[in-house]
Amino acid sequence: MATVAEALADLSVGRRLKVLPLEELYTSGHRTCQGCESALVMRYMAKVAGPRTVVTGTTGCMYVANTSYNSTPWVVPWAHTQLGAAGSSALGTAAGLEALMRKGKIPREKINVIAFCSDGGGGDMGLSGISAAMQDTRYNLLILLYDNESYANTDIQASGMTPWGAVTSFTPSGTKKKISQHRWKKNVPALLMAGHPQGRYFASASSGFGMDLMEKVRIALDVGGPTFVQTHDPCPKGWDFDPRRSHELAILAVECGITVLWDFLEGELRYQGVTRQLVEGALKRRPVAEYLQIQGRFAHFGDEEIDYFQSQIDEMWEQWLLPGVLPATAIPQELELGTAAGRGRSEDV
Amino acid sequence: MAVGSVDVTYRGIFQKSLASVITKALVKAARHEHKIGGTVQRYSDSPERNGIPAKQFAVIADEETSLRVEMAKYEPDTVVATCVLDDTLVKGLESWAWYGVQAVNASLSPGGVLLVVSERPIEELADWMPRADFDWRLAVLSRKTSFAGLWVYNDDGTDMEVLGALSRVTGGLVALESLVATAAAGSDAARRAELLESGFSSVQVAPISAGVGREWPYETPALPAWDEMGEGVAIRGVPKGERNMLFQKFTTRTARPVVDFDRCVRCQICYTVCPDEAFDPTPSGHYAVDYGHCCGCGICANACPVEGCIEMVDELAFSDNSDLHRIYEADPEGYGNLRQAALATAGGPVRHYGIF
Amino acid sequence: MTTIEKPVSTPGPAGGGPGYQEEILTGCDAVAQSLRLLDVDVLAGYPIRPYDAVMATVAKMIANGEMDAEFIIADSEHSQFEIGKHASLVGARSFIGSSGVGWMYGMEALVVTSSLRLPVVALVGNRALDDPGAFGVEHNDALMVRDTGWLLYWVETAQEALDMTLMAYRVAEDHRVMLPCALSMDGAFLTHSQHVVQVPGKAAVERFVPQYDLGDRRLHPDNPISVAPQFNEDWVMEARRQSDAAMRRVPGVIEEAAAEFKEVFGRGPEDPFVEAYMMQDAEYALVGMGTVGMVGKVAVDQMRAQGKKVGFLRVKWFRPFPASRLRSLLGGLKGIGVIDRDYSFGSNAWGGVLYTEVAAALYASGSRPVVVPFIAGLGGREVSVQNMVEIQGVVEQHIASQPAEVDCHWIGVREHVGKGGER
Repeated sequence: MATVAEALADLSVGRRLKVLPLEELYTSGHRTCQGCESALVMRYMAKVAGPRTVVTGTTGCMYVANTSYNSTPWVVPWAHTQLGAAGSSALGTAAGLEALMRKGKIPREKINVIAFCSDGGGGDMGLSGISAAMQDTRYNLLILLYDNESYANTDIQASGMTPWGAVTSFTPSGTKKKISQHRWKKNVPALLMAGHPQGRYFASASSGFGMDLMEKVRIALDVGGPTFVQTHDPCPKGWDFDPRRSHELAILAVECGITVLWDFLEGELRYQGVTRQLVEGALKRRPVAEYLQIQGRFAHFGDEEIDYFQSQIDEMWEQWLLPGVLPATAIPQELELGTAAGRGRSEDV
Repeated sequence: MAVGSVDVTYRGIFQKSLASVITKALVKAARHEHKIGGTVQRYSDSPERNGIPAKQFAVIADEETSLRVEMAKYEPDTVVATCVLDDTLVKGLESWAWYGVQAVNASLSPGGVLLVVSERPIEELADWMPRADFDWRLAVLSRKTSFAGLWVYNDDGTDMEVLGALSRVTGGLVALESLVATAAAGSDAARRAELLESGFSSVQVAPISAGVGREWPYETPALPAWDEMGEGVAIRGVPKGERNMLFQKFTTRTARPVVDFDRCVRCQICYTVCPDEAFDPTPSGHYAVDYGHCCGCGICANACPVEGCIEMVDELAFSDNSDLHRIYEADPEGYGNLRQAALATAGGPVRHYGIF
Repeated sequence: MTTIEKPVSTPGPAGGGPGYQEEILTGCDAVAQSLRLLDVDVLAGYPIRPYDAVMATVAKMIANGEMDAEFIIADSEHSQFEIGKHASLVGARSFIGSSGVGWMYGMEALVVTSSLRLPVVALVGNRALDDPGAFGVEHNDALMVRDTGWLLYWVETAQEALDMTLMAYRVAEDHRVMLPCALSMDGAFLTHSQHVVQVPGKAAVERFVPQYDLGDRRLHPDNPISVAPQFNEDWVMEARRQSDAAMRRVPGVIEEAAAEFKEVFGRGPEDPFVEAYMMQDAEYALVGMGTVGMVGKVAVDQMRAQGKKVGFLRVKWFRPFPASRLRSLLGGLKGIGVIDRDYSFGSNAWGGVLYTEVAAALYASGSRPVVVPFIAGLGGREVSVQNMVEIQGVVEQHIASQPAEVDCHWIGVREHVGKGGER
């Protein structure tokens, strides 16, 4: 599939990589699966953050598979935190550093505070804590949610971010019930963005587009305040596909319009790369079947299930005001949203 | 025999279901002979990671007491047979949660047998075998390595053939008739019986004497005492520019990326997409693979935009993890020949099973 | 409910020492004063009665510029305790607290705080566990961490609350210890009652509690470490043994700190581990924790006046449990009544947690006294002087009747009274 190289070339890998250090701050010797794209996300995240960084990571693959006592792949300081504690560990770390700097107990400098979590830890259990972190504008912190679409470390159970219909340990396909995963995937970056107008930056990225991902992490760390980046990372174990196709699959998810690359900065919503081309109509979405049919977790899908999945993606692209972000399909005309007149009227009330 | 165990050594996830079918079938067949048994999944392999070596055991005993002692262990002791489901595991195995590279025959009891599923000649496999201080036997079931995924089972007959072969090489730890009788209770009984018999009759065995074989190059690190460990479970991070040397991932590999440096356009994509940070920049602009840490996922080969530049080559075409780029720098032509020879002798990567 | 008294400018009465100010404070406010004096860096709060008064007071002090700290309003107790833990991990002195089911909600974060060996200090305003919701004191909340490596202390007065907050940081942050410490304070009777308290000066506090220094375990770019990589069975016992060793060092550190407390502040208890009231020639003892000591001591005075040789023993440090002190103080006695303001349904003799611990400690004593379990004051029910006298009566009766089985007595619970007046 030529699109891997095309997509990477599209982002001018060679040219832009030169500004990034070659050295790794999350390095080899982690115990992740063959073809683990979440590990790649850790690598990109650490690389772009640089050495003046403190990282906390919740329980999950990127904890258990990465760091087995008494070894570690982390070059930058890293600490484990509990499954639901991405937001609170970031707050505690940032507040501790801020207090010590203000009181002159340690030198004042910019230290990046990053807490990473999984879709289970961040999208389910830790959502409330992340929400609190997004509200606390006193601190500079980044929550990075690596979304591999299941509780992968505990042997693949459905999370709130598992796609509709996927087989997991808790959502098997059986002779009586073909589809146990009846919940549609939760859109965490959009719900955080919509609910936290004071948050500085929200982004949806993909492990398949490393440059875009690193750019988003860089913006998040540079812009200051509470920020959130989500990455979509294929999991060869849980999704059940040949590990060599991991990166390709991440790209395919974007090309099918299932994963949407966007960010939100200073009031502006932007689409990136392939997604942008899809939005602008410069590129046609690939059928979701291409994505679904190379994964064992969808092996039980027949035409009916594939059609349903496709219809949901079509609806998102064709009906939503903002594909991948805002499910509203229409706004009441009399409100004249976004116009000076509209705003004026609401102020009069 | 009061108690005997079969160690099934396999590639995590890809062969998890296969190993589980084999161990369970052994116990079921033993029940047919009025013996008792159980299976043990080595707990520290769980949750399994794709490709990372793992073990399951079937424990079979004449009576309850012997069984109890073995079942309370992570690894039962009295291993009469180790069954290796992927032949590249002969290079050693490092479980994801444990330390040190274990020899493939490390768990074997004196006089035991190591059964390898492999299409290679038994002599070639014998060459890879680590030395033991007792006499033992090597057996080969000539079959293509069977891989599958987490959700899709690859019902290609490997399970039955391995069981048949195990019955033969263990001298009837469970009898072939018991295995056939057990299979008869399920679907597709005739085919399964045929496969059991084919495994039983086709397996080859060669004796290996004490002291014969490779010297094992890896040491198992000694673990510190409680008052030697750092307090608060903190450890030092990896120094800048280095890698975690306490866990290298090479025993996960079935195939390795081999770069044709003459074709390489220095695009950096392999370096960029490697989830294991295994590519090192070199002054020439090439990227050298650190084969100690490469796990052979194949993403680099898949992403490389130049046709034929990165090829996944069977791991058994190489005896060690030395830096191939250094060989290329010293002698480009010699490297080219080496690469061609490896490509010619090897079967390429093990493909994932199924619709994919 | 919680009001911040303006600092009283008149110097305290004799014994207060130089630099002291006398104030009228609740237990929660007294702790808040210590937090100010200790220059605590990070506090995380989440509302639940009755502990939360301490956070309200601290928030006001920060708002008024009397204290410089990061105060974070957490979204739950779990987040609250994680914030405290991670602030502590970067080298900031941190404080948390909770009550009742709130303490339970954050339990996961509590157990990892001790296994990471982080000297976070917490206030537990003891409160009954739900359901239904109840605000009154019970000790079960704080006791839930008794096995997890937390230091536990029960205070009796607001003054003790202030003093022990200083002690808690001093002991917890000692390099030989590095374990978190929870101060327990009876809900209502201490959290919401005001007492006369001597508030020391900042210089003395700084002398007594040095700056928090996590050393080479501090998470900072200058100290690139990895904290808490995952364990398998090869490591867990060794780590537990380390925590055990740290806990075993605590009594020595407490003694040392208590001696220095006296030196710095010119006062302090005779025995840092237990309060032994009228125990010198006692034949009987009543044993309890927290504010039950107030009435216990009055009851002892009354019974002494009647010629009964009864003493009161208040257990202060519950973890580490002062077993050898108890053996030496209680070992030769005729009878002991242990009053639990907690329950442990189904446990030995149907008694409470303190009873089980006291009885176990005395099993190793040369002459084992009779130990009778009592449960009293649950859910904030008042424990009266009369209750204490009643308890002593049951102990004596128990010794006289020598029943085959020891059985726990519930004091002050409404019993159904039958037609014939029998219970």
